[in-house]
Amino acid sequence: MEPEDDQKLSELLKEWRVTGAPPSLDERVLGRPKTWWRFLLTGSIRIPVPVGVAIAALLLVMTAALLRQRPAPPPGSPVSLVDFRPVDDPQVRVIRGPL
Amino acid sequence: MTDAEFREAYGRHKDMLHRFAWRMTGSAAAAEDLVQDCFLLLWRNSTAHDPQRGTMRSFLIGVTRNLALKRLRRYRPYDELEEESAVCSPIDPAGRERGELVAQAVDALPPLQREALILAEYEDLPLEEIARASGAELAAVKSRLHRARGNMRRMLAPLLETRGTYGTGR
Repeated sequence: MEPEDDQKLSELLKEWRVTGAPPSLDERVLGRPKTWWRFLLTGSIRIPVPVGVAIAALLLVMTAALLRQRPAPPPGSPVSLVDFRPVDDPQVRVIRGPL
Repeated sequence: MTDAEFREAYGRHKDMLHRFAWRMTGSAAAAEDLVQDCFLLLWRNSTAHDPQRGTMRSFLIGVTRNLALKRLRRYRPYDELEEESAVCSPIDPAGRERGELVAQAVDALPPLQREALILAEYEDLPLEEIARASGAELAAVKSRLHRARGNMRRMLAPLLETRGTYGTGR
């Protein structure tokens, strides 16, 4: 067998070209990359039942507490009369007019 | 194997495995399935690869070739894996592109000859690595490759004699 024949055969074989892995394979092997908004729309989380029950109970208690709460006093500071002084010389002007 | 190691192995070897699987099966869709199964197996059984016994590349080629041979046995149950006496006839090149004719000739080889030819000619793997990946003796791989080249020369004789006559390849 001539080395030249091998060379010619190798060159001919290289004329059959195939591509590497397509992007769809990445998705199949590694999974689809999840963006945060996709997670918010379609994601799910798994929590243990006791934790779920505890969270539900806590929410119930907080709701009940909120409903029972008294109305809060109006905002603002209390009025102080410490600096209160009557007027020394009240010049009262009486305006008379038709009743 | 950590997630990062798995991704690294996938990124490094996916293209080579896909090309190898495509040429072994003759189908891009089948190649995608085989490579996916190969990495699924690696993920589920990451201790299967023993670095003492060979590289990750050899291991993955070995897994893919086993899956490809399994598939061939399912779809072509009467094909012998290694027909030492197989002598392929020249193919008829009429009206077809050279790349297509080469693909047909590779597909006509007995599977073990095909595997040796693909890994040596297309992926430039050393014979020792081909032997490791296919679980065969070095002498057996040399013999398969020699017979594969002989068969290819016979099948593609019309193209080797009259280069440039039939199409331009793809």
